[in-house]
Amino acid sequence: MSETPSTGFWQRLEQIPRAYIYLLLAVVVIWQLVFPIRFEMSPSPSSKGVYDAIRAAPADKLIILSADWDASTEAETGPQTTAIMRAILSGKKKFAILNLVSPAGVKLADARAVAVAKEYNATRGLDWCNWGYKVGTSNVIIGLTKNIPGTVKSDSAGTPVGKIPMMAQVHDARDIGLVIEISGSAMTEYWIQFFQGVSGTPLANAITAVMAPGYYSYLDSKQLQGMLVGAKGAAELENLEGRPDRAMRIMDVQSWAHLLILLLVVVGNLGYLLSRRGNR
Amino acid sequence: MAFNPHIVVIWATALATLGVYSVLYRENPVSRLCEHIFVGLSLGYLLAITWTENLLPKWWSPIVTDGQWYWIFAPVVGFLFYFIYSRRLSWLARLAMGLFIGTAAGQSFRGLYPLLWPQVTSSFKPLRATPSVAWPNVILHNWLFVIVLLTVLSYFFFSVRPETKPGRVLSRSGSLGRWFLMIAFGAMFGNTVMARLSLFIGRVQFLLHDWIGHYWHWLAQKMM
Repeated sequence: MSETPSTGFWQRLEQIPRAYIYLLLAVVVIWQLVFPIRFEMSPSPSSKGVYDAIRAAPADKLIILSADWDASTEAETGPQTTAIMRAILSGKKKFAILNLVSPAGVKLADARAVAVAKEYNATRGLDWCNWGYKVGTSNVIIGLTKNIPGTVKSDSAGTPVGKIPMMAQVHDARDIGLVIEISGSAMTEYWIQFFQGVSGTPLANAITAVMAPGYYSYLDSKQLQGMLVGAKGAAELENLEGRPDRAMRIMDVQSWAHLLILLLVVVGNLGYLLSRRGNR
Repeated sequence: MAFNPHIVVIWATALATLGVYSVLYRENPVSRLCEHIFVGLSLGYLLAITWTENLLPKWWSPIVTDGQWYWIFAPVVGFLFYFIYSRRLSWLARLAMGLFIGTAAGQSFRGLYPLLWPQVTSSFKPLRATPSVAWPNVILHNWLFVIVLLTVLSYFFFSVRPETKPGRVLSRSGSLGRWFLMIAFGAMFGNTVMARLSLFIGRVQFLLHDWIGHYWHWLAQKMM
């Protein structure tokens, strides 16, 4: 088969070995982590919605953080959780962590709460608590609308709810100012169906970027007050809080990685088109 | 430098990360080993957590410490599922399945209205400018929304013969809807790439910051 030299070159561009592409991506990521070049960031309306919902939550009511994530999505949901906790504690509000999906995630969210609480001199049991992992997903959510102490019973360390000071005035959904669902799974629907849709309590979510396209319709219908999309959402909340941290660093790196991917897509397609023309 | 058990965790995590990523070059025994360790750990963890977080507080403790003896019958219902393997007694398994399916269907039915009805009502958008919403916004948002909604719905409408006049209209509208769906899938794929990259950056951040970074600080202290 005879090939012109130019066709061979474009065909080679189209078939760059994937190991080289991964290597190039790793080089760009490491380069940007070591010598970051910052991109300007403006918060999206969905992230602003989460920030506003936290600000609007009454100080005398509890915010539930349904931290339904574990190590597999921590790069996105971890910074989201930290940024949300900071936004809550900086507004002098209280939160309770709950996990309905992944028992492995309870300690991860707890560690982040301990670190954030230290920054704001917040006390466990007074400003925040961890209800731990509860089995039963929808049944637990239904139970929370009517009887929170009876459903939660004890926190992650086994302390009965009655002995947690901040839980003294928390009885049912009327004592909840906001629910924020943080996960990489479709848990938001459960909270809409069995909590927000029943009690009218405001709901927001923080999800992995893969999940995001399916939830914009819930923002449009106001079933969700706001939504943090992946690490980008976490970075935007950090920006709104005025506390740049790990998520903003991830997004700086990610922007460069996206530029590289765009370049590779263009090169690959250009190679395809030109090699096809060469074959004619 | 004093021994810190946390260092062992960091080293194990770093080596496992590198081991798993080594598959990007080619299939190799190290990545296989990491996979097997991960699967074994996950299964062991799942078994332990099922007992400590589920069976112990919800079943064992109520029987033993609270005297709620009737919970003894809960596993009996669960074990009914295994009668599916018996041709003669499989009807017992159907009893258990019926119970679970009925409960799940009831819950889903209950949740349908709060989930979907607000979506239906929010799709009724004003198509004329109002004092609060200017024309450009109406055309860009509301008209576009309604056009996309109707064309995508028409793509999934199969009850009219395509050779009839209404069928041809629906077919053209459905083609446009298909394009809109393709754009949506493209957006979804873009988000997937973004999510996967975030996970990768998270791992590299760990390797540079928590693993190598730990020794970098230690080395800097030694040299000062």
